[in-house]
Amino acid sequence: MSDEEVVLQSPLLYRVLRGRDGALSIEVLVGGIVQFEVRVLLNDEETASFAKEGRAFADRMAQAIMADPPFDGRSVRWPVL
Amino acid sequence: MNSIFRALLLGSLSTVVGCASMRGGTKPTPPPPASLVDNCDDTQKAVSKEADALASPYGIDQHVEKNFADRKVSWLMTDSAYQKFVVQTGAKNFGRCNDVACYLFAAPAGTIQGAVEKAKTPDGKHDPAVLGQALGLPAKNFEGPLRMMTLDLAAQKVCTRLPVDADPGVWKCTTPEDKDCFKFGGYTSGGVPEVMVINAPVADTQVAEIP
Repeated sequence: MSDEEVVLQSPLLYRVLRGRDGALSIEVLVGGIVQFEVRVLLNDEETASFAKEGRAFADRMAQAIMADPPFDGRSVRWPVL
Repeated sequence: MNSIFRALLLGSLSTVVGCASMRGGTKPTPPPPASLVDNCDDTQKAVSKEADALASPYGIDQHVEKNFADRKVSWLMTDSAYQKFVVQTGAKNFGRCNDVACYLFAAPAGTIQGAVEKAKTPDGKHDPAVLGQALGLPAKNFEGPLRMMTLDLAAQKVCTRLPVDADPGVWKCTTPEDKDCFKFGGYTSGGVPEVMVINAPVADTQVAEIP
């Protein structure tokens, strides 16, 4: 059973999740002919932007992660195996 | 009686002449296979036209003939992603969807299936390193249980074109040495042929487990 709440599920193939501690993370499907998930924990600024803009901000962030999955070293492969 | 005989004789003669003309004449050339772009709406046709112009003198039709002769494509995704983004959401189409369409990268079915077969281990699982090497991608992309999807583009009349930089999910290469990223032209950075499939129907796609 997951301790996370799915806050937003997008047809662009990403999800925004809230952990038990209240922190938000975004899980994005990346890749081309082979697709896998990566996760990024939202920082304070991103959390505030998501609270203000909702899906519009999440779309932009997901697209930025798809365009550069390492995301400046902030992403982790998910689920952790 | 005489008229009946004449009718029979004429009928026999026309059959003989018809057979002779077929034997001596040229066989009718089969029509060229339908372009998969014919299955696209106007928006995707326009994108395909631009992509073909950029790739000229190459194009989607040559690409399909050369690398996708049987019109069958496959792609891989982690089992966890398949459950979260396809099963649990009841998705109608594979791929990343925006207001316009759903966009999916796919490779020749034979290439993916051959790589998967080669990567099978004695315990019934797969070796990510072998799969990665076969498809020219990092082994880490293939860790954990996978799903392999296969779709017959011609049978299902699915819109297909060359992928372009603006497609959702594109991770553009920044240097020629970059791997695991997008380069325009119909091939992955690892050299595997790829196409962009628009609105790949989940219901018509075969899904296989790769433990």
